[in-house]
Amino acid sequence: MSSAAPDRNEVEPLIETVELRTHFRTPRGIARAVDGVTLQIRRGQSLGVVGESGSGKTVLSRSIMGLLPRNGVIREGSVRYGGEEIGNRTPKQMRSIWGREMAMVFQDPMTSLNPVMKVGKQVTESLRLHLGMSSSEAMAVAEKIFRDVRIPEPTRRLNQYPHELSGGMRQRVMIAIALACGPNMLFADEPTTALDVTVQAQILDLLSEQIRDRNMSMLLVTHNLGVVAGYTDEIAVMYGGKVVERAPTKVLFSNVKMPYTEALLQSIPRMNQPSHSRLAMIPGRPPDLVNPPTGCRFAPRCAYARDVCVREEPPLVQAETPDHTFACHFPVGSAEYHERRVELNRASTTTAEVL
Amino acid sequence: MRYYVQRVALAILLLLAVSMLTFGALNVLGDPLFNILGPVAGDVNNPDSIKMIEVAKREFSLDRPLPVRYAIWLSDFVRGDFGVTFSSTGQPPVSGVISERLPRTVTLVAMAQFFAIFVSIPWALITASRAGKVSDRISTLNAFFLVAMPNFALAVILKYVFSIKLGWMPLTYVADDPLRSRLFQMILPALTIGLPVAAVYQRLLRTDIITTLQQDFILLARTKGLSRPRILLLHALRPSLFSFITVVGLNTGALIGGSIVSETVFRIPGIGSTLVESVLRNDFPVVLAIVMIVASSFVVINLLVDFAYTLIDPRVRR
Amino acid sequence: MSTTNNSAGNQDEVAKKKLGFGFWLCVTWLALMVFVALFTPLLPLKSPTSNFLDSSQGRPPYAPSWKHWFGTDKDARDVFSRTMHGARISLTVGFSAITAGFLIGGTIGVISGYFRGWIDRVSSFVFVVLLSFPSLVLAILLTSLIERSLLTVSLVLGLLSIAPVGRLARAATMQYADREFVLAARQIGAKDRHIIIKEILPNVAIPMSSLALLGMAVAVVAEGGLAFLGLSVEKGITWGGLIQLGSDASKTLEKAPWISFFPILMLFLTVLSLNFAGDRLRTYFDVKEMTL
Repeated sequence: MSSAAPDRNEVEPLIETVELRTHFRTPRGIARAVDGVTLQIRRGQSLGVVGESGSGKTVLSRSIMGLLPRNGVIREGSVRYGGEEIGNRTPKQMRSIWGREMAMVFQDPMTSLNPVMKVGKQVTESLRLHLGMSSSEAMAVAEKIFRDVRIPEPTRRLNQYPHELSGGMRQRVMIAIALACGPNMLFADEPTTALDVTVQAQILDLLSEQIRDRNMSMLLVTHNLGVVAGYTDEIAVMYGGKVVERAPTKVLFSNVKMPYTEALLQSIPRMNQPSHSRLAMIPGRPPDLVNPPTGCRFAPRCAYARDVCVREEPPLVQAETPDHTFACHFPVGSAEYHERRVELNRASTTTAEVL
Repeated sequence: MRYYVQRVALAILLLLAVSMLTFGALNVLGDPLFNILGPVAGDVNNPDSIKMIEVAKREFSLDRPLPVRYAIWLSDFVRGDFGVTFSSTGQPPVSGVISERLPRTVTLVAMAQFFAIFVSIPWALITASRAGKVSDRISTLNAFFLVAMPNFALAVILKYVFSIKLGWMPLTYVADDPLRSRLFQMILPALTIGLPVAAVYQRLLRTDIITTLQQDFILLARTKGLSRPRILLLHALRPSLFSFITVVGLNTGALIGGSIVSETVFRIPGIGSTLVESVLRNDFPVVLAIVMIVASSFVVINLLVDFAYTLIDPRVRR
Repeated sequence: MSTTNNSAGNQDEVAKKKLGFGFWLCVTWLALMVFVALFTPLLPLKSPTSNFLDSSQGRPPYAPSWKHWFGTDKDARDVFSRTMHGARISLTVGFSAITAGFLIGGTIGVISGYFRGWIDRVSSFVFVVLLSFPSLVLAILLTSLIERSLLTVSLVLGLLSIAPVGRLARAATMQYADREFVLAARQIGAKDRHIIIKEILPNVAIPMSSLALLGMAVAVVAEGGLAFLGLSVEKGITWGGLIQLGSDASKTLEKAPWISFFPILMLFLTVLSLNFAGDRLRTYFDVKEMTL
């Protein structure tokens, strides 16, 4: 795309959330799974939402789509789709949007397909409902989509049950179901986590190719920064229900600000590293969403945290790089960060000597 | 295929065991001679009685050892010869009595099963989709009440309310009436048997549907924009039916047991009420034949249930 | 993510922890019934067999009144007294049957679940054979062949519970037979009998005992059914028999519904209490419905 940067910003976002909050009533108290998230996804763009399990990323995607159970859930803030407020709509009102405008690809193709229904029927269901097709028309369309998602022998596959297909094939079926009615917005919730490593890249390639061809937007949820690297335009890093850093993909990888993002980056397994080299694990546990820590929620696990981090919550601020925001008192590259880093290095070398 | 052969073989083995047990119980616990002749059998001082005993022993092969008698009876039984009834005058063949009365019981049990299934499925779907709400709780309590009501008591209550007080339903079954009115006369008896069973089905199915509704594929169905009734019917119901089918099969026994009571209360001359009458009259061949028919059909139904499983769940097909 | 199992799951979770008011209400009713059953002859009840003919009221049956709380039957016998006496046989048979069933079925189940092999195969087959009869049919068949006393009727109904109880005990035993503490006991050379009694039995007994009330409900209903058909204990008053007496002729049922409805009420409340209390206990001990 050759259009200039400011022009891009003027395009109205397809999806926009403002201070979206999603809380669950639990026996222990209120769990703030999503706690004030503001983000935009433009038409044809894809956003990667990255975080550990329990960071609220899955709840965020379901909350935007309005897919949460009605009991025990408190949802506040605004969700706009194509400029229209949909945050206050009931599931019944959302039905015309689901499947037709928005679709979701789930993590586990083993459990997400109905085991007792032929996959063809599972694909054609929404075609018949939303587009009013007859069953033979819908079957023809389904066959074409199966071809698009590279399912070999589509005619035969349509008549098979999920258990007769491999994991990768099932995930392709799931993508076909999502694409069936030609939605504008695709939510992909860890679409490759349950698959073999060899199949993962194929599925991601397929997804991004289809997104491009159909000019769709995508929200890709994953715990693995490596997954989003090649497949998204932007990345939002979530921690404890909040977005803590957000930047265009390339910018993020070249100019990390948040120590948490840095730690996530270090935990990506790399092909070019010898297999026995250690992955840096982030010590500690994700924060308790019922009683989140004061100040920066990552502070208790952060090697660079100082007193102020525990006291005051850092606001989201603009980085020097464009479209890049982060929430940290002492970001990567700051003087305090380097000071602590030197100390840490010294400490680790001395321990190594002692040992 | 091997699976089917194994299951059928097991069923045949079961039928043999069941027949031996029934035949053995009747011959060892009961006194067949007394059953045939009545008090005469004990009167060994009277020459007339002795003669009658001799004749009866020969006629019913009672002088032969038990296994031989069993073999004779079994070979007759599988050929449809159930012997003759003892107590009625003229000793009509048991097979005639059975063929006249069995269809009524089959109709009654089928009707009861039909009521139970088609009451419980919508009931379970509705309550499962509103799990935890007040209406669900009230219905759970109702189910408890129904399960706790023994069917003979339910029969008396239904008869009192609908036949005697309200007069909506006929009081008795008339064997000579046309088919339609006979079916109408069977509604109360069938409800007597079916309602408590429907409560059992509903409790089970409700739990299973709730479990299914928490599955990922239901969420996927929601993201397609399907309506709630559609999701319940098309996506949630079928995967929830596995244990339901087993229980429907197992409860056929309860239904047959219920038909005994129901036929007695509502005076339907089926094999259930005939069993009770014959037992009270010590009519040995009739009892044996009915118990065998009931147990065999029970075994066969369970076999069919196992096979139905393979139809519903494509994963166990081989 | 715990997004899906939120609404219904949590309420069930919370409900599990307490037995609740309903449970204690049921227990109270059952305790009352047990008291009545134990001390029937000592209670200040009218004689259940006397005829309280009252010329001023015309021909019996008499409707419920201060004199006869539950009314009288056709022979002017006091329905209240007869109903109280009925508790005795119904509960005794129910209790003895389930005790016999648990002793015999439980023993067979534990042994076959522990030793497996041919014992298990034989007993499993026997269970299947017993379950091939609809239970009421088997009960009718057996009771018709014997002298029907309190003991024999209890034994017959106990026999019916052998297969379901045995299967449960077997399944429960198999769950524990491979656990570490059993393997450890075996390794230090403990005898099988010792392991079964000391290690397995206590663990199997808890889930089984919470099912005892449910089993007793089944036995009480079964006894009622037999009595209703005239095939329970020959001498004595039973609820099933009372209900049968009051409903045998439609005329009686129409004119004097109290004769059968009061015993129905007692039977219903008792079975309901057994079921409800049993169900609460089972949830309380978190006993899964094992293979039946």
